Amino acid sequence: MSGLYGTLSIALSALATSQQALETTSNNVANAHTPGYSRQRSVLVPGAPVSFGPLTIGTGVVLDKIESLRDPILEIQLNQETQQQSDLNARLTQLQQIETHFSGSSSGIGADITNFFNSLQQLAPNPSSLSLRQAVLTAAGNLANDFNVTANNLQTQRGNLDQTVVQDVGEVNRLTTEIASVDQQISNLENVHENASTLIDQRTNLIRQLSGLIDVQVIPTDNGISLTTSNGTALVSGGESFALSTTLASDGTQHVMSGTQDITAKLTGGSLAGTVQIRDEQIPGLLNQLDQLASGLANALNTANQAGFDLNGNQGGNIFVPPPVGGSGAAISLKVAITDPALIAASSDGTAGSNGNIAVLAAVHDQTVVNGQTPLDYYSNVVFQIGSATSNTSADVDASAQILQQLNDQRGSISGVSLDEEAANMVQYQTAYQAAARVVSTVNAMLDIAVNLGR
Amino acid sequence: MRVNPNPMPDLLAALNESQLQAQKDLLQIASGRSVNQPSDNPTSAALLIANNDQATFNAGYLQNLTTINGTLSTADSTLGSVVTALQRALTLGVQAANGTLSDANRAAIAEELKGIQSQLISLANTSYQGQFIFAGTVTGTAPYTADATDPSGVTYNGNDGVNQVTIGNGYQININLPGSQVFSAASNNVFLAVNQLIQAVETNTNIDGAVGGISSAATYLSAQRVFYGNAMNQADSQTNYLNTAKLQIAQQQNTLAGVDLAGVATELSKTQTDAQATLAAIARFGQMNLFDYLK
Repeated sequence: MSGLYGTLSIALSALATSQQALETTSNNVANAHTPGYSRQRSVLVPGAPVSFGPLTIGTGVVLDKIESLRDPILEIQLNQETQQQSDLNARLTQLQQIETHFSGSSSGIGADITNFFNSLQQLAPNPSSLSLRQAVLTAAGNLANDFNVTANNLQTQRGNLDQTVVQDVGEVNRLTTEIASVDQQISNLENVHENASTLIDQRTNLIRQLSGLIDVQVIPTDNGISLTTSNGTALVSGGESFALSTTLASDGTQHVMSGTQDITAKLTGGSLAGTVQIRDEQIPGLLNQLDQLASGLANALNTANQAGFDLNGNQGGNIFVPPPVGGSGAAISLKVAITDPALIAASSDGTAGSNGNIAVLAAVHDQTVVNGQTPLDYYSNVVFQIGSATSNTSADVDASAQILQQLNDQRGSISGVSLDEEAANMVQYQTAYQAAARVVSTVNAMLDIAVNLGR
Repeated sequence: MRVNPNPMPDLLAALNESQLQAQKDLLQIASGRSVNQPSDNPTSAALLIANNDQATFNAGYLQNLTTINGTLSTADSTLGSVVTALQRALTLGVQAANGTLSDANRAAIAEELKGIQSQLISLANTSYQGQFIFAGTVTGTAPYTADATDPSGVTYNGNDGVNQVTIGNGYQININLPGSQVFSAASNNVFLAVNQLIQAVETNTNIDGAVGGISSAATYLSAQRVFYGNAMNQADSQTNYLNTAKLQIAQQQNTLAGVDLAGVATELSKTQTDAQATLAAIARFGQMNLFDYLK
C-alpha cells in the first residue's frame, strides 16, 4: 500500500495498538491486588515491512502478544515451601494441643507421682491411722485418674485427626478435579494459539492450594501438566483427575488410598502429611510411653504391697488393678483396686503398728520401673521430648514462614503489579495515541488538498 | 532490580509477630512464670518436675519430724517419770531394809510400792495420738497388763518391733523402743525388780538384794532414755538442715521458672512500640502512587 492511504493505515495501526496496550494496562491495574495474578505486558513489534522496488517500507506497529510475567522455577519453589510449611503448621497446632496435658510442674502426672509417694512417707510415723491411709488411696486415685484423662484426651485428639484426614482428602479431590478441568481449558486455548494467561494463573493458584494439603509435583507435558505426589501417585494427568479415597484400616484409623494402594505413610508434605505424622507416630508413641509408665508403676507398687501385711494382718494384695500384660492400654484403664484403706500393706510383721513395708512401697519411687528409669525420670523425659518437639517445630515453622515470605517477595518483584509502572505506561500509550491521532488529522488535511486539486 | 510492589503482606506479618510476642510477655507477667508450656523451655520443664518432687518431699520430711518429735518427747518425759518413781521405790526399799521397822510399817511400805507398781504399768502404757508407744508394733493394745501369776507381776502384750521413719533422702531413724527392751528386757526387767522388792518387803526377806535390783533397773532405764534424747537431737539437726534446703529448692525453682518482671515489662514496652511503628508504616504505605500525580 502506498501514498497517503498507506500512511493513514499505519497511523490507524498505532491507534489500535495503543488502545489494546491501554486495555492491558487497565487489566493490570484492576488486578493489582488479585492474589496469584501475574502482570501482563503488551509486546509491540513493528509490522512486517513491504518492498517497493529498492525501497523497504514499514507497515506500522502490531501487538504481537500479551505476555504474562511469571517465573516457573519460583512457582516450583513456592509449591515446595508451601508443602513444607503446611506440614509443619499442621504438626505444630497438634503438638501445642498435646503439650497442654503436660504443662505445670505442680499438677499433672508428675506431681501426682510425687504426691502419692509423699503420702506414703506421711503414713510412716502412724501406720495404723485410717485417715492417713485414706490419703494414700486418694493420692493413688488422683494418679490413676490423671493417667486416664490424659490418655483419653490423646485418643480423642487422634480421633479428630482421623476426621481431618477424611476432610482433607475430600478437599484434595475437589482441587484435583478443578485443576484437571482448568488444565483442559488451557490446552484447548493454547492449541488454537489463544491467550490462556488468566486460566494459567488460576491453575497456579489451585496447585498452590493443593500444596497446602499434599505433596505435589508438577510435570509439564505436551498436553498441559501432570500432577503426582512425590512417591509417584497420579493426581492429574491429561486433563483427567484421579481421586484419592479413605478407608478404615484394621488399626482403626482412616488410611489414604489411591485405588488399592495405601499411600498414607508415603505422604511427605502438605497438612495431610503433618496430620498423619501426629496421628500415626507422635500420639501413639506418647500413648505407648504413658502405658509403659502406668504399667511399670502399677506392677511395682502391687509387688511391693504384696510383700507386706495389711491392717488386718493379712498378706497384702494389689493396690492397682493389674494392667494388661505388655502394657498396651494401661494408662487409659488404670484403676485403684482397693477402697478400704486397711488394705494398704504397711506392716512388715503382720502387726497393725508396724510400718516396715512402707519403706518397700516408698522405694518404688527410686526403682527403675520403666525403661531403666525411675518413674519421675521417665516422666520428665516424656515432658522434655514433647516440649522439644513443639519448640523445634515452632522454630521450623518460623524459618519456613521466612522463606515463604522471601519467595513471595521475589514473585512479587517479577509478577506483581506496580501501580507506578502502570501509570507511567498509561501515560506512554496515551501520548502514542495522541501522536497517532495527530498523524491521522494531518493526513486528513493532506487528502483534502489532494481531492480538491483539480477544482 | 525491580522490587516487590506489594509489601503489605510482609508488614502485616511483622505486625502479627509483634502482637504474638506481646501476648507471650503478658502471659509471663500475669502468671509470674517463664515456663508455662514445656516448649517454653523443655529442659527447665523437665527439671521443674524433679524440683517439685524435692520440695514436696522436703515439706513431708519436716511434717514427719514434727510428728516424731511429739512421740519422742512424750516417751522421753514418760521415762523421766519412771526414773523418778523408781527412785522413790529405792528410798522405800532402803527404809524397809531397816531392821527396826515393824510389820505394820513394812506393810505400809509394801502398799506404797504396789502403788508405784501400778503407776509404772500406767506409764509403760502411755499412748501418743492413740498409739501405745512402748508396745513395739502392736500399738493398738496396751503393752502391759497386771498378772499375778507372772514373777514380774505383768504380762507383756507387745512385741519387739521397731519402726523407722525417713527424715531425709536415704536417712532413716528408729522412732521407738519396744517395752520388751525398756521395761521387761531379759537382762534387766524393771517390773521384775519392783515385784521382787514388793515380795521382799512383804516377807521381809532379802530386801537388800531387791533394793540392789531396783538400783540396777533405774540405771538401766536412764541408759535406755538416752536413745530418745539422741533421736530428738538428730531430729532437730535435720529440721534445721531441711529448712535451709527448703530455701535452696525454692531458689532453684525461681531460677528455672521465675520471671524477671522488670525485664519482661521492658520487653513488652519495646514490643508495643514496635507494633505502633509498624501500624504507622502500614497506614502511610498505601497512600502514594503515580496515579495521584496525573491530573
